[in-house]
Amino acid sequence: MSETTNIPRVVVIGLASCFGCQINITNIESHLMEVLGQIDVRYWQLTSSDTMPDEFDVAVIEGAATTKEALETLASVRERAKVVITIGACAATAGIPGMAAPEWQDRINDVYGDNTPAIVSDIACKPQAVHDVIKVDYEVPCCPIDPYAFVHVLQKALYGSNEYSRTSTMCGECKRNERGCFYGRGILCMGMITKQGCGARCPNLGRPCNGCAGLSPDANLDAARVVVQHSGVPLKRFNDALAMFNQDDPRIAL
Amino acid sequence: MLYRVIDADELPALVEAFMRDYEVIASVRSGKSFAFETVHSFDEIVLDYPTTLTSLKKYLLPPRETLFEYDMEDGVTDYVLQVRPRVLFGAHACDINAMNNLDLVFDDKRYPDPYYEAHRRATMIVGIGCIPSDSCFCHLLDSGEVRSGYDLFLADIGGRYLVSIGSVEGANILEAACNPREATDADRRAFREYTRRRQQAFNPDIPSVQEIPMLMDAFHSDDFWEELGSRCLNCTACASVCPTCYCFDICDVLDPNAQTGRRERVWDACTSPQFALVTGGHNFRSGTRERVRHRMYHKLNGFNSKYGRYLCVGCGRCVHACKTDISPIKVLEFFERKGAEDAE
Amino acid sequence: MPSSTSVHVGPLAHDVVAMDGAQMMFENPYRPWEARITSITPLTENEKLFEFRLIDERIRAAFHHEPGQFVEVSIFGVGEAPISISSSPSKGGFIELCVRRMGEFTTRLHQMQCGDIVGLRGPYGRPFPFDDMRGHDVLLVAGGLGIAPLRSLINNIHDERSDFGNVTIIYGSKNPSEVMFRDQFEMWRHRKDFDLYLTVDNPDDTWDGEVGLVTAPFSHLQVDPDNTFGAVCGPPVMYRFVVEEMRKKGIPYDRIYMSFERHMKCGMGKCGHCQVGHQYCCIDGPVFNYWEAKNIQDSM
Repeated sequence: MSETTNIPRVVVIGLASCFGCQINITNIESHLMEVLGQIDVRYWQLTSSDTMPDEFDVAVIEGAATTKEALETLASVRERAKVVITIGACAATAGIPGMAAPEWQDRINDVYGDNTPAIVSDIACKPQAVHDVIKVDYEVPCCPIDPYAFVHVLQKALYGSNEYSRTSTMCGECKRNERGCFYGRGILCMGMITKQGCGARCPNLGRPCNGCAGLSPDANLDAARVVVQHSGVPLKRFNDALAMFNQDDPRIAL
Repeated sequence: MLYRVIDADELPALVEAFMRDYEVIASVRSGKSFAFETVHSFDEIVLDYPTTLTSLKKYLLPPRETLFEYDMEDGVTDYVLQVRPRVLFGAHACDINAMNNLDLVFDDKRYPDPYYEAHRRATMIVGIGCIPSDSCFCHLLDSGEVRSGYDLFLADIGGRYLVSIGSVEGANILEAACNPREATDADRRAFREYTRRRQQAFNPDIPSVQEIPMLMDAFHSDDFWEELGSRCLNCTACASVCPTCYCFDICDVLDPNAQTGRRERVWDACTSPQFALVTGGHNFRSGTRERVRHRMYHKLNGFNSKYGRYLCVGCGRCVHACKTDISPIKVLEFFERKGAEDAE
Repeated sequence: MPSSTSVHVGPLAHDVVAMDGAQMMFENPYRPWEARITSITPLTENEKLFEFRLIDERIRAAFHHEPGQFVEVSIFGVGEAPISISSSPSKGGFIELCVRRMGEFTTRLHQMQCGDIVGLRGPYGRPFPFDDMRGHDVLLVAGGLGIAPLRSLINNIHDERSDFGNVTIIYGSKNPSEVMFRDQFEMWRHRKDFDLYLTVDNPDDTWDGEVGLVTAPFSHLQVDPDNTFGAVCGPPVMYRFVVEEMRKKGIPYDRIYMSFERHMKCGMGKCGHCQVGHQYCCIDGPVFNYWEAKNIQDSM
């Protein structure tokens, strides 16, 4: 970490995103100062128009890479940072910007026709998740992030933790909340293929899971599609919902 | 076993007597299903519920429980877990058997678990007889009846209850709140009619299989496990709803200040992909085939080897919770098919 | 009527009731006891030998282990990990653990310094049958980090050497640089305390030991099958081959012992993580004999 102070120097960077995850960090309210006291925030894009410093230890990145500039930024961040943490679905899965990923060049044509300005064609690239561009050490999932999940991951990066990251899907958490299943009512829910960890927050509020934590590496899509079909939910709706947060994942291809 | 009879209209008084000194937990309606929750009046309680979505184990083994707290400088610091006295009112035989199974693990002589013991000792249990639903198979796994582990057990014999009395505390409250009387010949006949009605209500399509533990060993390598495992969603809903899935993880949680923290145990599941992972990356049960088989093996063989009882109590909750129809019933049906194939 | 019940976990200074260490440990088996790192010896690039001393004298006096047992080590804030004890019970007052830097926990442990505080609880697990082994020949086979638990047995045998017949140690590593405790073993070999076979997969110019798998020395080994105990410890793939070699030498099933590596999280037969078949490695093992192991589904 920093040689003089021994306090880890942190930069917070926003790529293509709504910046909501950066805002959500501040929602730990009374604990915010405690957390900021453990780090040396050198740059926070949400709060400053200054340029990013050259030296830092931890990079926190929100958003998907959608421009060539973003690709360069990521490469240079990876070179300098000891630890890279992404926050939010856009960074982790390409998220909402990722919905433009299939045939992304056609979409530029749809907007500009034959008159695509050079500046657009020069800077745009296919929307990508950060881990598809550089190596990511820790991810804080969901849209938006849970601020306490961010603190947990930051502390994991700073102090270490032997807690293993689980890839089981969400229904187990939902059942701990003693919730019945949306499929019993013919309602689409992405919980059975979505990575656990959020505590099945939306189903617990009465809304089905939209899959913002991303597909679990151990998601069983074949079995899930059989469940969907038996429940009477049109399979197309399930497949469309999969495309919302998982453009980084080749398994969503039909 | 000592037993007495009380009238059905005495039941509210019994519940109210409990409420004076205890938090009363009972089955209430929850959406299309039923759940065990804290109740504040007798009227909230549904006595003839078929089964609940999840079990009573959360009252003995909370989903997330602090073991102790620590300071980064000084190590372990002062921590007190205070447990409120509770009564679990209206537990079915399968669920009481499930808690008796948990006792075997957590209340063992060698390593008694102080947290579990604290919960268990502050908990009274009032059982209630049930009429099995289509997914019940407790009777096939020796859990259809329960002879111990409760303070009172109520059997509805038509306008009155035959009450089995399992403890002094149970007797005291029963006597204070109701007018328990000796059973008459008519009561005994009514009880027999009730047991007969219950016996006949079990789903005859769920096969009764002998030597299940031995069959679990004998068919350990059968392709059936591949087929069953291939459907697993890796969601661990089975373990969440199971009254006897007691596996847990132990992890440290730092407070936001990073100066203090606590060690917690949280429910875990052997059907979770990382459950048998060891440092260095080797996973001893890396596939759904191995994980689903291991879960069934522990329920239908492993626990028997250690404690002489099935761990599965046949409550049928996983039958409903598993969206891809993986349950011990499928294992029993598989064994039944194997026998039929041989007979051909 | 039952009243409310409670569990109290207190710091060292708060133990006002006079209790001996064993009672204190029994009171709450999940509570780690503070221990100080008193020595760190680098063994290889990735392995260090840590010496710990329990700080509370009562706990230190009550702590007794046997070869093959393990402790749960706590780094507060990071978590807990099961690590087998490498020191001999014949030397009291301290506990040695041989730790390979592999994951998050062991990386943090490797970063710690002498004087730093960790938590320890245990010891746990069924040990090697040391007393049954007395009066017999012993054949010990270790692969890689498997030497860590076996060293406790080796050192214990060495400290009570006259109670044992021929003692043969076969210790295999991938590379010469990964061989641990070599000086000590070579010294004992030199003094004719043990027959020692050090073997590596990939020799370099300096290597003067054997080359090949740990099963290779069996070809010229003289074993008295009626009077020999075997003990094996190493990576999972090694067991099947080594125990078969021992069987070929005629050692009975129930005198061939092996230690299983699983992630024992509670150490007390509850959490389920170390389950193999119907057994819990933490209380039924980690040491099993071959007959028991054969009766455990999926064990090898």
